Amino acid sequence: MPRLARLLLALVLLPAAAAQPAVRTDTLDLDAVVVTATRTERALEDVAVPTTVVGAQTIEAQGAARLSDVLAAVPGLFLFDDHGSGLQVQGFAPDYTLILIDGEPVVGRTAGTLDLSRLSVAGVERVEVVRGPTSSLYGSDALAGVVNIITSRPREGVSGQARLRGGSFGTTDATLSLGLGRGGDAAGAWAVRVLANRYASGGYDLTPDAFGTTAPAFADWTGDVRARVALGRSAVLRLGARAAVQDQRGASESGDRLTRYDDTGERTDWSVHPELDVPLTGRLRLTASMYGARYVAGLRQREIGTGAVTFASDFDQRYTKAEAQLDALWSTRHATTWGAGATDERLGGDRYGDGVEPSAQQVFAFGQHLWAPSRTVEVTASARLDAHTAYAARITPKVALLVRPADAVRLRASVGSGFKAPDFRQLYLSFTNAAGGGYSVFGSEQLADGLAALAADGQIEAVFIDPTGLGAIRAENSVSVQAGGSVQPVRGLTLDAGVFHNDVRDLIETQPVAQKTNGQFVYGYFNLDRIYTRGVEAQATWRPAGALHLALGYQFLQARDRTVVDALADGTVFGRDPDGREYRLSLGDYGGLFGRSPHAVTLRAGVSAGGWTTSARTRWRSRYGYRDLDGNGVANRPDEFVPAYAVVDLTVTRSWDRVTPVVGASRVTLQAGVDNLFGITRPTLVPSLPGRALYASLGFSF
Amino acid sequence: MTRFLLPALAAVLVLSACDSADPDPQPVPLTPSIVTDLVADPTAGRNPTTGAPIQTGRFTLYSLRENRVVLSYTEADAAVRQRDSASTAWDIGFQGQRIIFNGGTSGPGSAAAQLVEATFGEVTEAPADGYLADGANAACSSGFVLCPVSGQGWYTYVPFSADPNDGGFLSPRAGRTIVLRNADGATYSKVRITSYYQGGLTDAQITPTSPSRYYSFEFIHQPDGSRNFQTTTPQP
Repeated sequence: MPRLARLLLALVLLPAAAAQPAVRTDTLDLDAVVVTATRTERALEDVAVPTTVVGAQTIEAQGAARLSDVLAAVPGLFLFDDHGSGLQVQGFAPDYTLILIDGEPVVGRTAGTLDLSRLSVAGVERVEVVRGPTSSLYGSDALAGVVNIITSRPREGVSGQARLRGGSFGTTDATLSLGLGRGGDAAGAWAVRVLANRYASGGYDLTPDAFGTTAPAFADWTGDVRARVALGRSAVLRLGARAAVQDQRGASESGDRLTRYDDTGERTDWSVHPELDVPLTGRLRLTASMYGARYVAGLRQREIGTGAVTFASDFDQRYTKAEAQLDALWSTRHATTWGAGATDERLGGDRYGDGVEPSAQQVFAFGQHLWAPSRTVEVTASARLDAHTAYAARITPKVALLVRPADAVRLRASVGSGFKAPDFRQLYLSFTNAAGGGYSVFGSEQLADGLAALAADGQIEAVFIDPTGLGAIRAENSVSVQAGGSVQPVRGLTLDAGVFHNDVRDLIETQPVAQKTNGQFVYGYFNLDRIYTRGVEAQATWRPAGALHLALGYQFLQARDRTVVDALADGTVFGRDPDGREYRLSLGDYGGLFGRSPHAVTLRAGVSAGGWTTSARTRWRSRYGYRDLDGNGVANRPDEFVPAYAVVDLTVTRSWDRVTPVVGASRVTLQAGVDNLFGITRPTLVPSLPGRALYASLGFSF
Repeated sequence: MTRFLLPALAAVLVLSACDSADPDPQPVPLTPSIVTDLVADPTAGRNPTTGAPIQTGRFTLYSLRENRVVLSYTEADAAVRQRDSASTAWDIGFQGQRIIFNGGTSGPGSAAAQLVEATFGEVTEAPADGYLADGANAACSSGFVLCPVSGQGWYTYVPFSADPNDGGFLSPRAGRTIVLRNADGATYSKVRITSYYQGGLTDAQITPTSPSRYYSFEFIHQPDGSRNFQTTTPQP
């Protein structure tokens, strides 16, 4: 029986089997089962799109505390500093990657970035990363890829974990987790796990000559509950709930260095996710879920001395979703998944106009069919319809092919589309910046009214674009091709390689629509630019023996703006050297989109023996464009780049099993590590590189 | 060698003989004139309620033909300003980020200009046509030939950081050369703005506290009435 059918049968007939402890030790991810790529459980090696899994063992061996630590070590992924640590996948900015916890979106982005250091990896079983557009299953934001954090399932019996970690920059991380469950898989069986985590940092300052902190001090609390109840006839009710609170405190000074400020921030976010899993017949299985999430954040900047509030920003996002998914296994060769749902989103805050609380509703439906025409070939086709109240409806298709010409060989190819809906700023912003000279920015839904109000107030000198004649703004959308394969030439050695090309249209950018009488401009959001990202990813993994593990990864990336490429071909882009001499740029002078390194290498090594585990990670990235200094909007001059750098992390773990006869499977873990061993910093260029950081932790689990 | 040297010497002698005998002047190379820190109405802060800059609104007017300031923005006497601005003595004027030419809606002269997409050195000859007087630029809401809008006229607004509160600076657009017919309607000049900041700061040297509205520029004025920017033939 083909592996597909085996897996899907297991999926349909034995949903409770998934509740078994999924802890694997030194086998790492070889036998990993993943859910993100197809919304159904599949063996990692049989997924037709590029997928990476980082398991709990790897996370622990690396001493990672936050999701950002985990993802920074994955080949081909980069952290991207912009209002927090965002993620760059296949050359895309952070707002193009969807972040999920157990399949449901994490809400609360600032300027498009979902700060990955917000998310603790305590209680996480694995992190799945799918590269390439997955909007045909998940809708908006899954344009560059999807990161899905899979929490560990509550177990039968009594279990628990306590872990305390401390390190440089006043960083502390404390986790306490308790689990209780009884009844195995019988009706009425239940299990629950409660987890609390506190993560705090004293912040740091990379520019001691200037007043202010590079990273603020903060304390972050997370509480997490996972529970399940077996309802009989293999039906299971699951509940996930999570809440987090953060307080932060930093300092800064004004651009002219004359005024100093206290900066404080508060953030609260929570989510609730009940899910019902019901086998309807031997071949049909229904999953119904509700999801509610809220993210509230406030920032205050107060002038030191007077205490006057000089800047305030409040943001309140509420997200509700209802969804049902039906999985059908028709035969050993055909399987179908259907899904449909609706979302409601509401916003509060101070940048959407007086008394305006925008809301948006959406309905969606998707379908996916897996077809195995022969033992060696599998085709997966999927499509999704999204109809939204604020932007044009769209249908997003994708098709993927997997070929197994031999046991040790996998060939993969996929063509698909991704999209990213206009974000809240782009739809609803209504903002006039007095500090910045009085310019105004309006989201597409607010532009006509906002401009009319300014005109009625006599503030408009000239209108360049009449907003009343504009159609609905379109979602940014892409066409993507991914192809690659993997081969195991000898036992223990795996070679993976792939190419990708993403062509993105209708990028939403600001453009002046009118000039005000004070000389400043009114900006609106429009579908303007086209970009492409393309590249090669390659990885060699070698496990000569159970104890040793080596992985070498390389990524080549080109991320470019088509308008700039065309202008460079026409010879109409000019540069200016630091002495003021001007010259015409050619395509070879183009450093691509800012923040993208053309080359990146990662080397990971791990060895475990006799209770000792050592993990070493090196990641090197070539130079990348950072800013424009000669006014052409393009990174071309050496001083417009962040120079190449490498970061080396090292972790040593010693663990003792069965340390106490009271509980059977107890374990004590002692860990010490150093992040950024050589203390690389780029003070004003890379604020997220604080220099060498030492840490040690002590853990006990049972 | 000597076979060539002798005729060459003879030719030189003949030519120099002609020089002294014939008044027809020979072309001489044109070299750029450099102007540093032309003061164009620096601001005295911002209006706290509207955010608009506090400024006099007066222009500094410059003659490219005579390489001198005709009228400074500091001159507040209305009669003097009227006399000097309503003349054809000036060719180009500066106030804040606005650059005007003495013609059309800006003055009584015959100046007209265009922004050529080429480096200063590449513009070896003024275009034969394509000149507009101020007020005639339909593509710009204010009608100025050099539209005072980022990316449209002489500058690009470059933010200091991703945070708009940090502000930004004006960077002269590389590869844009201003070519103008001067206020006399007869001669041509080409101009390259090199800095908007006091001391002629380059982009990398500019900080949020750098005093702005200090123009540095280089220009070549062709006095002989031709469109050539490489050499000029001295007029008798």
